[in-house]
Amino acid sequence: MSEQPTTFDYKHVGGRFLGLVATALAAYAAIFIGAAFAPDQFAFSYLFAFTFFFTICMGGFFWVLVHHAVDAEWSVVVRRQLENIGSLLVVMALLFIPMVFVAPRLWDWMRIAPGTDVLLSEKWPYLTPWFFWIRAGFYFLFFGIAATWLRANSILQDADGAPRYTVFNRRITFASLPFFAVCLTFSAIDWLMGLDFRWFSTMWGVYIFAGTALSSLCVLVLLITALRGVGYFEGVITVEHYHIIGKLMFAFTIFWAYIGFSQYMLIWYANIPEETIYFLRRNTESWQVLSTVLVVGHFFVPFLLLLSNPGKRKPAFLCGVAVWILLMHLLDIYVIVLPVLHKAGVVVSWMDFACLAAIGCTLAAVFLKRLGDAPLWPLRDPRLAKSIALKN
Amino acid sequence: MKAVGNLQAPVYGVAAEFHSARDLYHAAEKIRDAGFSKWDVFSPFPIHGMDEAMGMKRSILGKVVFLGGLTGFLTAVTLQFGPTAFLYPLIVAGKPTDLFTVPAFFPIMFELTILISAFTAVFGMLLMNGLPRLNHALFNWDRFKKVTEDKFFVAIESADPKFSERPVRDFLESLGGDNITTIHGD
Repeated sequence: MSEQPTTFDYKHVGGRFLGLVATALAAYAAIFIGAAFAPDQFAFSYLFAFTFFFTICMGGFFWVLVHHAVDAEWSVVVRRQLENIGSLLVVMALLFIPMVFVAPRLWDWMRIAPGTDVLLSEKWPYLTPWFFWIRAGFYFLFFGIAATWLRANSILQDADGAPRYTVFNRRITFASLPFFAVCLTFSAIDWLMGLDFRWFSTMWGVYIFAGTALSSLCVLVLLITALRGVGYFEGVITVEHYHIIGKLMFAFTIFWAYIGFSQYMLIWYANIPEETIYFLRRNTESWQVLSTVLVVGHFFVPFLLLLSNPGKRKPAFLCGVAVWILLMHLLDIYVIVLPVLHKAGVVVSWMDFACLAAIGCTLAAVFLKRLGDAPLWPLRDPRLAKSIALKN
Repeated sequence: MKAVGNLQAPVYGVAAEFHSARDLYHAAEKIRDAGFSKWDVFSPFPIHGMDEAMGMKRSILGKVVFLGGLTGFLTAVTLQFGPTAFLYPLIVAGKPTDLFTVPAFFPIMFELTILISAFTAVFGMLLMNGLPRLNHALFNWDRFKKVTEDKFFVAIESADPKFSERPVRDFLESLGGDNITTIHGD
C-alpha cells in the first residue's frame, strides 16, 4: 500500500486538460452570442445546466457533512473526492454571475411592478430583489466557506495526522448542518420554485435534495472507478465500498420516488388550481412524454437494477447504473426548468447543450486542479485502516 | 469425561469453551474445513467475518421477503383497483377510476408491500431460527451461561452425519477447546 502513488499525476490527463479549457471557452463564446439573439432561451438553458451541476456539488458537500456528523468509518477512503466535488461550490458562485444579468427573464416576479399583483404582494418582502440577492449571496458564502474549510482541515491532517482536525471538522459540520438544510431548501425555492411565483410546494426543498444526494453518489462512483482504472486506490477502495455506495444509491432512488410521488399525489388529489399548474404544464403536450420517462427511468429502472446484491458489487455494472441515473437527473432538472419557457411543448435548443458543456468543462478543469493538489484519500485519518478493511 | 443434562436422554451434541473471539474464529474455520454441517458458535457479541469462517451460505430469507412484498403489493392492487375500476366503478372528484388514477392507490400499495415484507422478514426469521422455544439443551450446561458475559462456545450437534462422540471430543480438544462436555437433552 505504501508503494503506490497517493497523489494524482497529470500524465493521465495530459493534453485533454487544454481540450477541456478550449471546449469551455468555445461554449462560453457560443452562448454569449446566443444570449444576444435569444436571451430567454439562454437564461433558461443556463439555469438548467447550472442547477444540474449545482445539485451535484451540493451533494458532494452533503456526504462530507454526513461523514463527519455520524462519525462514519466506511467513507474515509472516498471522503477526499467528496470534498473535492463539494469545494467546486466556490466555482458555482462565479458561474451564478451570468444569471444576474438575465434575472428578470428567469424569475417573472421581478418584472411585475410592486403592488400590482396581489399574490406577489402577499409574498412581500420575501420576493423582493434586494432580499433575493442577499439570500443568493448568503448561500454561496456559506457553501464556499464550509466546503473549503472542511477540505482544508482534512488536507492539513494528511501532514501530521492529528486527530484534532477530525474533532474540529465535526464541530464545523454540526454548525453547518442546519445552514445546509436552509441553504439547499431556499436556493431551490428561490431559483426553481420561483420560476413561477404563484406556485408552491412544501416538498420542493426535499425533492431537490433527493436528486442532489443521489446524483452526487453517481458522480462519486464514476470518479473512483476512473481513478482505479488508471491505477490509484489499489487495495484502498474495494468492492465493499462499491457495495455501500450501491446501497445508498438504491436507498436514494427510492427516496427520490417517495418524495416525488408524495409531492405529486397531494397536489393531484387536492386538485387546487394554483397548485396543479405545475403538473398540468408538465403532464400535457410533449412534456407528458418526458414526465413519464422520468417516472420509469428515474425510479423503476434503477430500482430493479439495484435491487439485487450482486450488481452492487460489480464496479462496471454500478458505473452503468450511475450514468443512467445521472442522465435521469439531467432530465429531472430539464423538466423542472424548461417548461416554464416552452409552455407549448418540448423545444430542445443547442444552447441547452452549450451551457452544459460550458459549465461542465469549467468544473471539470477546476476539479482536475483540486484532484492533483491534495492526496487522493485522507492519508492519515485516524479511521483510515478500518475504512480500508471494510466488510459489509 | 464430562456430561450434563439427563444422561438417559439422547445426546444433543458436544460443546467446547473458548477464551477469545480469535480462538473461536479459527476453531470455526477448522470445523468448517472438517466438513461438519450441523454445528454453531455462540459469543457474547457479533464477530465480523464469522459467516465466512463458518462457511455459511446466504440466507434464503431475502427471497422469501421479496415474495412477501409481492404478495402485499398484489393484494393492494386486487383489493383496491379491482373493485373500484371493474366490479363497482367509482367516480371520485370527477375522476373515473382507470390507469390515470392509479396514484390514488399508491400509498396503500406501498404500505401493504412494506407491511407484508416486514412481517415475512420478522416471522420468517423466527421460523427459520426455530423460535420461539422455551428451552434448549445447551442450557443444561452451567458454564454455558457465561456466553452472555465473556466466554465463547462451539457446539457440534449429534444430528450431524459426521457426528460421533469420541472423535468429536478429540477434535474439539485439538482445536484448543476447554471444558469439553457432552450435552444431553432433558
